[in-house]
Amino acid sequence: MSSIIVFSSKIKYIQEALPLAYLLKEKEEIIGVSCYEENLEEIANKGFDVFYYSEKEILNDQWYEVLINIANETKPKYLIAPSRKDNIEILARLASKLGFPMVTDVSYFDRSNGFLVFHKPVLGGRATAIFKVKKETNLALTVPLKKFKQEVINTKTRILKIENIPESKFKILGKEEKKRSAVKIEDAEIVVGVGRGFKAKEDLKLAFDLAEVLNAQVGCSRPIAADYKWLPDDVWIGISNKSIRPKLYIAVGISGAPQHVSSVTDSKVIVAINKDQNAPIFKYADYCIVADLYQFLPILKEKIEKLKKS
Amino acid sequence: MNIAVFIKASLNLNLIKVDSSGIVNLEETALAISEYDKNALEEGIIIKEKFGGKVAVFSALTYGPISKRQADYERIIRETLAIGADEAHIILDEKLVGASSLEVSLALANLVKKVGTFDIYITGEASMDTSSYQFASRLSSLINVPAVTFVRKIEIQEKDVLLYRDLEDEIQIIKTSLPVIVSVTGEINQPRLPTLKQILQSKTKPIFKYSVTDLELPKFDLSKEIRILPVSRKNIFVEGKNLEEISEKLIKYLIDEGVLKI
Repeated sequence: MSSIIVFSSKIKYIQEALPLAYLLKEKEEIIGVSCYEENLEEIANKGFDVFYYSEKEILNDQWYEVLINIANETKPKYLIAPSRKDNIEILARLASKLGFPMVTDVSYFDRSNGFLVFHKPVLGGRATAIFKVKKETNLALTVPLKKFKQEVINTKTRILKIENIPESKFKILGKEEKKRSAVKIEDAEIVVGVGRGFKAKEDLKLAFDLAEVLNAQVGCSRPIAADYKWLPDDVWIGISNKSIRPKLYIAVGISGAPQHVSSVTDSKVIVAINKDQNAPIFKYADYCIVADLYQFLPILKEKIEKLKKS
Repeated sequence: MNIAVFIKASLNLNLIKVDSSGIVNLEETALAISEYDKNALEEGIIIKEKFGGKVAVFSALTYGPISKRQADYERIIRETLAIGADEAHIILDEKLVGASSLEVSLALANLVKKVGTFDIYITGEASMDTSSYQFASRLSSLINVPAVTFVRKIEIQEKDVLLYRDLEDEIQIIKTSLPVIVSVTGEINQPRLPTLKQILQSKTKPIFKYSVTDLELPKFDLSKEIRILPVSRKNIFVEGKNLEEISEKLIKYLIDEGVLKI
């Protein structure tokens, strides 16, 4: 029997990859591979037929070796992982070894006349690539967090500890935690994004005031976090893989660099406020306001506030 | 220090052409050096300036038709030589047009093996057009050199190298030895522009051209179909006689969309 290997170096994300595994599954066993945590049994018993775990955290090159062994034993048809940087690195290397093509950040899946159809965002979020492959094709796939939903059944899972883990070629000398804000912008329903249109750190108050009446989180473009350091990295939208998918995204004083635009493309509605009517961000917005943010934000805030009170 | 830098000629995101059926026209859209590959090249040049050696650029043209694209592509490769690379090795072959990371990495791995061995192999974290984040990892499995991805700082100390990986929640500092494959993020450096003198000098630097038959590749099964559709937005410019009116109109739009609850 062949398998679907579902992998995540961090166990707390592994279930994110299960819905797509179930959508693809025909007769394959679903094999989970991850790292031990206290609630391992509970996670493993939700949807996995077999679950391999490493007792402690191991490094990417070790995961690769471990996964090669599991793949040799279980003959996977698909390799699936949540889109996290470590997982992508490991899965792409494994896909290469096994000769599998790979689609990173699958945003949609369907079947059509013996073909499998996958979508993924490309061209910096300006477009969607549609891949159509024969259903016999072996594939590696990564899925963005919270993208797919599918009910998962409880399973009686064989839980196996991974033995004989090889030495790593790498040594971790240290870790620097990134500064965190109280609320994750990835989870926010409304996000106000701030960019270089703001002249001084104090002026960001205009955006925070608007965010307050909207019950929104504030995020930022690259210059605000990387160059000026006015806001921490974890609200920087557009840093590798930091994507948001709010119902409403309001880009204020943001010109619309490709990395930023690609990270907000899943927003349901995008509003852009910029005084330059030729700013690229307008091409990627639903509602475009050509105005000076210093004048416009206080008025918008006041109008919303009044409506809420009335 | 022998440095290999991998460059993709990506679709120019500012010049995307869409045909009448609403599909992105790959043949008509111009090419440009992929964003983070500029950082990879810059980092290669910084390492060369510090430790000596040479920078060799590797690239494969994946957009066709080759005959129509070749001049534009060579201009891009010439630009990497003007910026500071010493030589370039490029693959021009219709068989790679529309190829995925699987085939392209195999072709480039075979090419780099043919050209020689390197102390460090550098590439961008992903290409700006397809953003698949696979190349460094695939190269690692094909040439059997460890890969470290998403690196925002490289410190070379004799035979060891410290790599600062930019992960979702932390910066991870990894120590390993050369040779190593590194994929870099946009934060690692600020790519330089070539001077006029460099542009002129670049004309004397060699570009070596290869076809797939030079590289002993397996037969590719390109039986997949790819279409690229632009994401559409409404692009409504909200206008009014003053900012108050514009605000009110915007609020109404957002309420109608169901994204703002009053």
